[in-house]
Amino acid sequence: MAMKRIAVVATVYRYLSHAQHIGDRFLVGYPWNGAWHRPDMKVVSLYVDQKPEGDQSAARASEFGFEVYPSIAAALRCGGTRLAVDAVLVIGEHGDYARNEKGQVLYPRYEFVKQCVEVFEHDGLAVPVYNDKHLSYSFDRAKWMVDASKRLSFPMLAGSSLPVTWRLPDIDLPLDCEIEGALMVGYGGADVMDFHGLEALQCMVERRKGGETGVRAVQMIQGDAVWTAGDAGRYPRDLLVSALSRSDTPQGQTIVDGRTQDLVAKGELPRLVKSPAAYFIEYRDGLKATLLMLDGAVKDFTFAARVNGAGVQSTQFFLSPEPNVTYSACLVSKIEEMFQTGKAPYPVERTLLVSGILESCLTSRFAGQKRLETPHLDVRYRAPRQSQHART
Amino acid sequence: MNISRRSVLLGLGAAPLVWRAQRRPGRPRLAAICTTYFKYSHAQHIVDRFLEGYGWNGTHHHPAMDLVSIYIDQVGADDVSQTRLREFPSMRLYPSIAEALTLGGSALAVDGVVLVGEHGRYRRNEKGQTLYPRYEFFQQIVKVFTDSGRSVPVFNDKHLSWSWDWAKEMYDTSRRMGFPLMAGSSLPVTWRTPSVEMPLGARIREAVCVGYGGVDSYDFHGLETLQGMVERRRGGETGVKWLQAYRGDAFWKAHQEGVWPKDLVEAALCRSHTLKPARAGFNDTLPGPDEMRTLVKDPVAYRYAHQDGLMCTMLLLGGLVEDFNFAAHVDGHPGVFSTQMYLPMPPGRTTLANFFSPLVNNFEQMYLTGKETIPVERTLLTTGLTAAGIESLFRQQARFDTPHLAIPYQPTKASTFWRT
Repeated sequence: MAMKRIAVVATVYRYLSHAQHIGDRFLVGYPWNGAWHRPDMKVVSLYVDQKPEGDQSAARASEFGFEVYPSIAAALRCGGTRLAVDAVLVIGEHGDYARNEKGQVLYPRYEFVKQCVEVFEHDGLAVPVYNDKHLSYSFDRAKWMVDASKRLSFPMLAGSSLPVTWRLPDIDLPLDCEIEGALMVGYGGADVMDFHGLEALQCMVERRKGGETGVRAVQMIQGDAVWTAGDAGRYPRDLLVSALSRSDTPQGQTIVDGRTQDLVAKGELPRLVKSPAAYFIEYRDGLKATLLMLDGAVKDFTFAARVNGAGVQSTQFFLSPEPNVTYSACLVSKIEEMFQTGKAPYPVERTLLVSGILESCLTSRFAGQKRLETPHLDVRYRAPRQSQHART
Repeated sequence: MNISRRSVLLGLGAAPLVWRAQRRPGRPRLAAICTTYFKYSHAQHIVDRFLEGYGWNGTHHHPAMDLVSIYIDQVGADDVSQTRLREFPSMRLYPSIAEALTLGGSALAVDGVVLVGEHGRYRRNEKGQTLYPRYEFFQQIVKVFTDSGRSVPVFNDKHLSWSWDWAKEMYDTSRRMGFPLMAGSSLPVTWRTPSVEMPLGARIREAVCVGYGGVDSYDFHGLETLQGMVERRRGGETGVKWLQAYRGDAFWKAHQEGVWPKDLVEAALCRSHTLKPARAGFNDTLPGPDEMRTLVKDPVAYRYAHQDGLMCTMLLLGGLVEDFNFAAHVDGHPGVFSTQMYLPMPPGRTTLANFFSPLVNNFEQMYLTGKETIPVERTLLTTGLTAAGIESLFRQQARFDTPHLAIPYQPTKASTFWRT
């Protein structure tokens, strides 16, 4: 079988951008399963939407023997008249794009995938597509992207590294378990890092009994209301303690003198977190889950859930340090698997649902932090039987 | 502070006693004997976990014991013990080791001793060894045991002593007096990525550790990384026959000639999360031989032969990696068996050095049960290997025979590394 040919469609390609992290691994290989793995695939074309200072597109093209094309269609056809690649990497993260009134960065992922789909339709042939991070800032557009993949029968994978990176400890929730409550703690800004937190949360809770059946309502609140909600028991204190016990990055007094801290018992959270945010998710089957963004208290992503018969289960989603960010190697191995086999190792509906949860949460915040019914988030899917995170 | 080794020995010899550690009812009380206590010093990492608790098994765990006394040999400008003593009045500072153990009285008054002799300003000898006073501290502890007619469990952070003879004497003393002794580094007990264990009874053909840091400091961690894995091989540990160190040009020549298996070095590098990219603009690349040589300014290897023939090599490749990775050829294992012993390392990557949590948790169990969770012979051997590596370097990298390191022991059946 001939070596698979890959087109990269990116917003920008510069050092430490997602396109560089992901794209480079197809060029120089990556650490996987204890060896340096070199994909049996070749990047043959690249489209970059913006060429900021530090742009690497021309240098990579010349070193690794591919072309930078002026349009997505040309990249997919390698300058010819028909689709000339076996797979497409769409990496619409980083770059200079506007934000809307809800604070969402308007990355052109939908536009990029739509142009790919137009080529597929025109040429009568479709190939696997990976879309980095959430599908779109708009659920409608994200839905269109997923529907297109169904309509044209091309495999699609999306999302971030969080669900597939190392876990400390290495646990997964048992398939078909009964989850009584789930909490994720993260850090960073809205519409950037919250996506990672929501996706990590989703890859855990989707394993519950009955599978994923979608989300009934969401609410995002900010400020002191987050602490009040905690005092009122809207998110379980024991799950918060458990998630934070998995953190390696408590701030505050630990920065001052290195000490360990029980941030909850000592009442440190309100002092450390100037702008807390809570994302409340009510699933259609009754499960309630919460993402707490505690910027100022921690700098990692940790999870805890109460599981019927198994007590509280908790772990850290390990984001290994820059510049290696080996977690992205875990993601690339999944992308490569889809390109090689034509099957997505986990359902794109996960990312579709998370894209919609995030959009609705940001809408809730914009609408005065009101609870919003989300009948459109009727997204049903089953989790993969096999755990997909790094463990070998 | 210097005490005569001879007088202590004579003192011990005069007391034919059976000093089984006796558990008293209630919460055990501990004494901490430290060289110094500043932010991110080993004493801070360890003692704080008894004062503040720490994340363990998915909750904030408070050890079921009280650290009631502390001796600090050097209080520097960066000291943080004063704030601890104010905040935790249950812990009292004593001006001597004996008083910390007797709580100012006349007889041993604690149920366990935490000895942290790492960091602080101590002299270096001509071989480059920092003369941390672990042996001296230990002897003072033992004198209190002797005078009191009672002994309690002791944990000694890192290797037992820079001196093999002193380390051996510390070990022998604990066996003779019958008190539990634990020691060593966090490397064998921290997280692993992936979370794998060497199967008990495995036939290991050869093993390497690729780590970083300097001689007489992180070399010990690399040796403990290796030993925590290879001790599980068929037949258990048998000890080490000889060791040879390589440094500088001799290192590169040996690496080039395949004195240690290059495929194991490469496999270990592929477990690193901190592989320095050789080329600007790339974030994660596997270095070629020339790139390795450019990045690693002061490479060091300790290559050694176990009594049963197993060959191990501990490599310090500072400049290329900043983590500890293990790789081995194991019969029946497809490809190379490899993992990283992951250290959440402040201040660059984390704020907490949480690899101290599994270390503390292991010896915490000893204070509760009176049983060592990990054989101290492991650290006796790695103490001797560290000294042997330094000795070989001091002797112009000559092979150094180690008949004194014929230290057989059996590993624990159960894994003791962090995985819950």
